Amino acid sequence: PTLTEGWSAEKDFKPVASVTASTKRTIEPIGPHFLAHARRARHKRTFSEDDRI
Amino acid sequence: MAENKGVAPDERTVIGLSFGNSYSSIACTVDDAAVVIANEDGDRQIPTILSYVDGEEYTGGQAKAFLIRNPKNTVVSFRDFLGQDFKSIDPTHCHAAAHAQDVDGGVSFTIQDKAEGEPSTVSVSEISTRYIRRLVQSASDYIGKKVTSAVLTVPTNFNDKQKDALVKAARDADLEVLQLVNEPVAAVLAYDARPEAKVEDKTIVVADLGGTRSDVAVVASRGGLYTILATAHDYEFAGAHLDKVLMDHFAKEFMKKNKDVDPRENARSLAKLKAESEAAKKALSIGTNASFSVESLAEGIDFQSTVNRLRYEMIARKVFEGINRLVEGVVKQAGLDVLDIDEVIMTGGTSHTPRIAANFRSIFPETTVVQAPSTSSTSINPSELLSRGAALQASLIQEYETEDIDQSTHAAVTTVPHVTNAIGVITLSEAGEEAFTPIIAPETALPARRTVHVEAPKEGGDVLIKVVEGNTHIKVTKPEPKPKENGAKDEDEDDSDFDSEEDEEEEHREKIWKIGTALAEASVRGTKKGSKVEVTVQVAADLAVTITTREVGGKGGVRGNLKAP
Repeated sequence: PTLTEGWSAEKDFKPVASVTASTKRTIEPIGPHFLAHARRARHKRTFSEDDRI
Repeated sequence: MAENKGVAPDERTVIGLSFGNSYSSIACTVDDAAVVIANEDGDRQIPTILSYVDGEEYTGGQAKAFLIRNPKNTVVSFRDFLGQDFKSIDPTHCHAAAHAQDVDGGVSFTIQDKAEGEPSTVSVSEISTRYIRRLVQSASDYIGKKVTSAVLTVPTNFNDKQKDALVKAARDADLEVLQLVNEPVAAVLAYDARPEAKVEDKTIVVADLGGTRSDVAVVASRGGLYTILATAHDYEFAGAHLDKVLMDHFAKEFMKKNKDVDPRENARSLAKLKAESEAAKKALSIGTNASFSVESLAEGIDFQSTVNRLRYEMIARKVFEGINRLVEGVVKQAGLDVLDIDEVIMTGGTSHTPRIAANFRSIFPETTVVQAPSTSSTSINPSELLSRGAALQASLIQEYETEDIDQSTHAAVTTVPHVTNAIGVITLSEAGEEAFTPIIAPETALPARRTVHVEAPKEGGDVLIKVVEGNTHIKVTKPEPKPKENGAKDEDEDDSDFDSEEDEEEEHREKIWKIGTALAEASVRGTKKGSKVEVTVQVAADLAVTITTREVGGKGGVRGNLKAP
């Protein structure tokens, strides 16, 4: 939507709330994307760090 | 999982093995594509049967043929007995072959497996080992190298004891088990690994319709990561029950011509009846007519008959309806509606039945893809999915050290939070109404990162991006209110297409996004006419959110963080 008049925030970003709900579930250890996830999880890398390698 | 003894990664030759109660299948990968291996009889679906005649060991189709002449020394349907207490097994399917016996609480069979001497009592573990050894031999012959390692598929309700027993049986057959994977996800992987497949966020129902059991799972596929949301297992509506329907049908017909002779009352006649009924059932999945003929079916009388598909579908309706209920039940159990399902993957031998796919087609909305030979030209053979998935996984992990595989599959890695609600942005529809565009789908495993492009206003200018949570609900519009919601859809009484078309006119159900809690607002200033805004949302494992927005092609952009709750 178009910006309303007089909207302003620090650095143009206004946090309102956090994500409300999540559940613990088990992902299936299968497939190339899981192996990428496991690699990130074990080396504690973020997505962008992983992209660079 | 039990400890593996381990083969050095560079010395491995790997296969995928799907070990079933009725049939097993082996596959390897050639140039990153999965290939299902035929055994020396030319079978790709190899009956899970082990038989001994004059001390000679037979497996697969040859062993199956001995069910008629040599049932006592033939072992069938034993996979589900692995790691089980004798008390908890259901030996129904063994009645026509070697019977399961209680030995120290476990399951064993007494068979004459030597040319001479006393019959041996062989544990189900040893039976499995002998059978797996033969499968591995077939694979080794095909590949031309000794197969050392494999990924095996298991049902989702296999407990640790059963898994350990399976790993032990395989290891005793000199086969290293790299990993056990759940059957439904192996089927999903087999589809996702095709070169033309795109990794998408979608919710999939995997209907594994086998010989002695049917297993259905709802799988959330999010960015190539799979999470099982619900599972159901059924032992009443499967292939064997369809065989039974045909057996009864032909037995009655036989009795019409030959009074007082019931081929079901004699073990050998029954075995012939069963073998030919299964063959007729398979023929009816391909053609619309099947012939049935058995020499000397009972009391030396030959029997010949035919059955057409329509008649078969009528007499098998109860079983088909049971399968429908199973699928509908598991979708409900996942807290979802049929409208939430993007794809139905049919796997297992019974999935070749065109009527079952047609029934699924009418249960699910038109947008849902039903992957079965009769409803999709791009579908993969349902009998091959599990071994293909296993083979692909095996080729992915064959270079890993055993220790790495164990660590990666550890619960600490696999148990992660999943967002309950969708996260998306508010967009304006053409009518100027606020609508929700999802960026991260519900049940996405964290951490996750997704990017979407949303239309900026046509006239350009400053844009406000509102990031909100959202969830779906089902809106039902009914011209004439009916007392029972959803009833018309479930019944589908006489299975005719005409009927289901009428139902759709009567009620219209659609999935609607509801806008939930606002998370953040950001502005992108001075966009050009008709340009798009790129919004990237990244949710960390601790639920902290990073949002980046910028005009497509533009520089800089706005970046902000939401704290973890």
